[in-house]
Amino acid sequence: MTAQETREPGQQSGRPVLGTLAVLGLAGYAWVASGLPPFSGRALVGVLIPGAALGLIAYGRPPERIPAPDRIDLTGFSYWIICVAALLEWEASAFRDNSLSWHPSLTALIDPLIQPHPVRGAAFLVWLLAGWALVRR
Amino acid sequence: MITRTITIAGFAALISVMFALEFMARRGSSRIPTAGQWLGYLMRSRTGRALVLLGWWWLGWHYFAR
Repeated sequence: MTAQETREPGQQSGRPVLGTLAVLGLAGYAWVASGLPPFSGRALVGVLIPGAALGLIAYGRPPERIPAPDRIDLTGFSYWIICVAALLEWEASAFRDNSLSWHPSLTALIDPLIQPHPVRGAAFLVWLLAGWALVRR
Repeated sequence: MITRTITIAGFAALISVMFALEFMARRGSSRIPTAGQWLGYLMRSRTGRALVLLGWWWLGWHYFAR
């Protein structure tokens, strides 16, 4: 099976009401969890719970998965690897330079953007949905 | 402050290229896999799945618990 043959067809759940309720529940959780004070035990628990839940689902009761391709085009894949490696290197060089004002890390740039609670809540929800998307793979 | 500008431009360029790759990958004739496809490919093994999920969790911890 090639990458082209497994292109996702935008599969929709057969239970749209349940899906909507789940997203609303996740949004509520994201709102609460993203309002917890950083560097606190409660904030840690706020991210541990979804991590543990998705881990249990992934290995215990995985949902119907989108089939992974048996092989992918190495050249096409290498473009992604180059970008990810460059991003990591760019981030690492920020820490190496140890001057966040001159060479800010991605974290230092993103943190102020996600400080408002609605934005932080939305980002948390995106993180939760990304985790669910990974479990379905 | 030109160093700061170059740094931000570097991040913006890399992220833009990744969006462009995803866009190109979703065209029918592309040989480039989508992010979902190559992540799914990496997650075929239990170890790969664990590492990818761990990376996802680390991102959440890094941005929302710290």
